Amino acid sequence: MKLERAVVLSQEELYENTYLMWLSSPRVAKSASPGRFLMIHCGDADEPLLPRPMSFHRFRDSQSERQFAILYDVRGRGTAWLSTRKPGDGLTNFGPLGRGYATNPDAQNLLLVGGGLGMAALIALADQAIVAGKSITLLQGARTAVKLYPTDLLPPEVEALSATDDGSAGHHGYVTDLIPQHLSWADQIFACGPTPMFAAMANVIREARSRKPAQALLEERMGCGTGICYGCAVFTRKGVRLVCKDGPRFELRQVFS
Amino acid sequence: MFCPTPWHTLKTVPNLSVELLPGHKRGLSFSNPVMTASGTFGNGLDYAKIFDIQRLGAIVSKAITLRPRQGNAQPRIIETAAGMLNSIGLQNIGVDAILRDIAPVWATWRVPVIANIAGESIAHYAELARRLDGAPGVSGIEINVSCPNVENGLEFGTDPRSASDLTYAVRRETDLPLLVKLGPNVTDIVGIAAAAADAGADGLTLINTFPAMRIDIQARRPTLGWGSGGLSGPALKPIALRMVYQVARSLDIPIVGCGGIVSAEDAIEFMMAGATAVQVGTATFRNPQAPLDIIDGLEEFMQREQILAVREIIGAALPAQRESQTNNAGGVAAGHGPQSDGAITGRALRPG
Ligand SMILES: Cc1cc2nc3c(=O)[nH]c(=O)nc-3n(C[C@H](O)[C@H](O)[C@H](O)COP(=O)(O)OP(=O)(O)OC[C@H]3O[C@@H](n4cnc5c(N)ncnc54)[C@H](O)[C@@H]3O)c2cc1C
Ligand SMILES: Cc1cc2nc3c(=O)[nH]c(=O)nc-3n(C[C@H](O)[C@H](O)[C@H](O)COP(=O)(O)O)c2cc1C
Ligand code: FES
Repeated sequence: MKLERAVVLSQEELYENTYLMWLSSPRVAKSASPGRFLMIHCGDADEPLLPRPMSFHRFRDSQSERQFAILYDVRGRGTAWLSTRKPGDGLTNFGPLGRGYATNPDAQNLLLVGGGLGMAALIALADQAIVAGKSITLLQGARTAVKLYPTDLLPPEVEALSATDDGSAGHHGYVTDLIPQHLSWADQIFACGPTPMFAAMANVIREARSRKPAQALLEERMGCGTGICYGCAVFTRKGVRLVCKDGPRFELRQVFS
Repeated sequence: MFCPTPWHTLKTVPNLSVELLPGHKRGLSFSNPVMTASGTFGNGLDYAKIFDIQRLGAIVSKAITLRPRQGNAQPRIIETAAGMLNSIGLQNIGVDAILRDIAPVWATWRVPVIANIAGESIAHYAELARRLDGAPGVSGIEINVSCPNVENGLEFGTDPRSASDLTYAVRRETDLPLLVKLGPNVTDIVGIAAAAADAGADGLTLINTFPAMRIDIQARRPTLGWGSGGLSGPALKPIALRMVYQVARSLDIPIVGCGGIVSAEDAIEFMMAGATAVQVGTATFRNPQAPLDIIDGLEEFMQREQILAVREIIGAALPAQRESQTNNAGGVAAGHGPQSDGAITGRALRPG
């Protein structure tokens, strides 16, 4: 796997501290899919040392090539550097990596649950599923209204509901509170968000005595992204697994019971 | 800019091959001096799908223990200036699964695989060596005497006596080429290196990570789940390089240089300091092709400098005379004062 040079097509601060960046990196885009990720060098020279993992946020076909976007929050020095990139700038990266979401062919009604920046990966799945003729309900949770992903950017077919911790938009409380009312409708559930959200989800599903299959996209600090450093280990019911290689998609039940 | 003779004026393709252990009865020959470092390449199987691993000089396995180990709690990795800390905790599938599932695959490869072993006691190491001895696919053993991430892991490597006992115990169990990998957290690396050499090591790998830590200032506790970890990456390179140099100028034993190598230039520095081969670790996390790029870079350097065989640069930066014969290091070269190392005795001293 070679280092690739991506070209920045556009960059904008989509909402508070959250950036949308479109990239052209044809070889990486070719086998990319929702839930998989790429590793990006976030600096001009050799620092910072480790590449940053980023999920594929959206895909589009333009100028006879497949392009993709990433959606990211500025957290530390790597993402701060990323946010200063301009159209035409190059980005060193490699990927795609990991196992993405796997939609059950029989599943018609998909329930997507995103917490915070979990939306980054879920929207690629929503786009793809709409094209495949599936029905989508998307539940998104955020700290406060300005941190919600703008629903007007979603495919119009998606039914979107939101929850905020401070009640400034949608349901006042956690996004997981919204799950029970959709459980019987859903054929399959897909989630991305912080670990406490996954734990709460597992609880809600268990309390509803539901056996609906649910996939979670896990996040762990990564060294290599390719399964060689053993840094991203997660302890599952079936033993220790690597998020970058065996995941990041896991059956929710396998990790949170 | 200085423009050397173009490479095509060289009549032959540069020869990158090295014999790491000329003193061993079967030896250990590599098509080039670039190896992957233990714990930074898995067991090689994943990368067999990503690039042509047969181009590597050699592969060193992830540390193998007697029983499978789950490893430490998260976080296991954190970045630092020009480096990173890890506290993986020797996660591995254990020697039984290695022999059953992995070594048979290694046996089908052209590239030699060296098994890195780690134990909680000398008896563990000895048993690991006994189990691996003669296994198809295992071309050599590297003893990890200095893993900083398990209880008591540091002790074997930090004093000459235990390094010697451990090496001797493993040596008794196997005729395989035996490398002893030392850690840098010692006051006298040459003394420990000499002890391992005297006890039967065929070669030394220098160095493992340096014990280090970071604090999470929000949580007010160490960042890594295990508390502390091992520092690797470019920050480690000058320390590793000096240790290679120190040992190479004092002892007559093959050395594998390791620590912060990210480029061909880094690898060349290690070889000029006295290493016969090098291991690339953390660099592969940043660039999955790093070991191959370093091989290409070595070849380009040789063509540019009209070096016919990579062997020529081994020890090129060492003083003409061994430390052991000069009595006073201060007269040898700038930068290593008379305070260094003291007198070394033992079979491992480089002869005349
Ligand atoms: C599979 C995967 C997909 C991801 N997808 C996205 C995405 O689409 N959008 C997005 O904004 N973020 C995503 N992240 C998290 C993102 O990688 C981190 O926010 C980013 O690395 C922070 O880098 P920094 O230099 O700004 O922060 P720093 O705090 O300076 O980073 C220091 C180190 O910690 C690591 N790190 C810090 N925070 C995290 C975290 N939460 N998870 C994992 N590693 C972390 C960094 O990679 C780096 O090695 C993803 C993480 C993973 C594992
Ligand atoms: C994530 C990680 C895991 C490692 N695991 C092992 C190991 O299992 N056994 C071992 O002898 N060394 C291990 N090491 C040490 C490396 O082999 C190497 O000695 C060290 O990282 C310095 O080289 P580098 O700076 O090129 O990475 C590990 C290093 C890292 C970064
Ligand atoms: S990030 Fe290295 S094994 Fe997953």
